[in-house]
Amino acid sequence: MRRSLLGLVVVLALLALFDVFGQSPSTTSAAAAAATLHVDSPGAVRGGLLYQVRFTVEAHQDLKSATLVLDTGWLDGLTVNTIEPSPVNEASRNGKLALDLGHVPAGEKYVLFLDYQVNPTTVGTRTQTVALDDGETRILSIDHDLTVFP
Amino acid sequence: MDIVLRAALAFGFIFFLTRVVGRRELSSLEPFDLIMLIVLGDLVQQGVTQSDYSVTGLVLAAGTIALMQVGVSYVNFRFKPLRSVLEGEPIVLIEDGRVLERNVRRERLTRQELEEQARLNQIVSLDDVRWAVLETSGQISFIPKQ
Repeated sequence: MRRSLLGLVVVLALLALFDVFGQSPSTTSAAAAAATLHVDSPGAVRGGLLYQVRFTVEAHQDLKSATLVLDTGWLDGLTVNTIEPSPVNEASRNGKLALDLGHVPAGEKYVLFLDYQVNPTTVGTRTQTVALDDGETRILSIDHDLTVFP
Repeated sequence: MDIVLRAALAFGFIFFLTRVVGRRELSSLEPFDLIMLIVLGDLVQQGVTQSDYSVTGLVLAAGTIALMQVGVSYVNFRFKPLRSVLEGEPIVLIEDGRVLERNVRRERLTRQELEEQARLNQIVSLDDVRWAVLETSGQISFIPKQ
C-alpha cells in the first residue's frame, strides 16, 4: 500500500518532468497568403506563475494595419504585466482586445511579447483565440488551449 | 518541469550543507539555530516555488523532496560503501578516559562541552569514561568504565 502511494508520487514527478503541469511553451502556427502567425505560449500553467507569450507575424504581403485580436481567454484571470513593443493602438473589438501593430512591410517580421502572471485564484481550461487582421480584414486565426492548474 | 528540478537541486544542496556544517551543529537547536532554520526555509521556498502559488506546485515540490529522501535512505541502506559518504561514521572522542584531541578538534568540540555532555549522562569525570562516541545523529553516547 505504501509503495503504491509512493509510486503515485513518482508518477506525478515524472508527469511534471514531461511538462504536463506547465510551463514550457510550444509553438502554434497558421499561414495565409498575406502572412504567417506563430504563437509561442505554454499550454499549461499554475497559479502565480510568471510566463511569456510571443506572437510573431511574418508578412508575405504589405500589411497596412496589422492587428492582433485576442479573445477574453488571453486576459481572463491573468495579469498582463507588459506588452512589448507597445502597440500603436489598443481597442475593444466586439469585446475582444485589438492590438494595432501598425504597418508591417512585405517580407518583414513583427514580434510582440506579452508577459503574464497567473492570478492565483484562476483555475481551469480555456480556449485562447488570436486572429490576425489587416485593418478590418481577417487574414487568419489560431485557437490555442491554456490549462491553469490550481 | 522546472519545479521538480529546483526541488531536487534544493534537496541536494541542503543535504550537502548538513554534511559540511558538522553533526554537532545539527544536534542542538539553540535560539540562533532556530532562527537560522526559519530563514533557511524561507530562502529555500523562494528558490523552489518562486512565484508559484498553486497547490499543484506544492504537491510537486513536496513530492520531489520526499522521493529524494526515500532515494537517499534506500541508497544508504542498499550500498554500504556509500553509507559513510551519505551519513558519516561514528567518531570516537574518548578512549579509556583519554580525550582524543584530534577527533575532538575536528568536530570543533571543547573539553567543556564534553564534560557538560558527560554530566548530562550522570558521569562526573571524563576519566570515568571508557568510550565516548559522536554518533552520526550528532548525539554523544558515553560508555562508563565498570
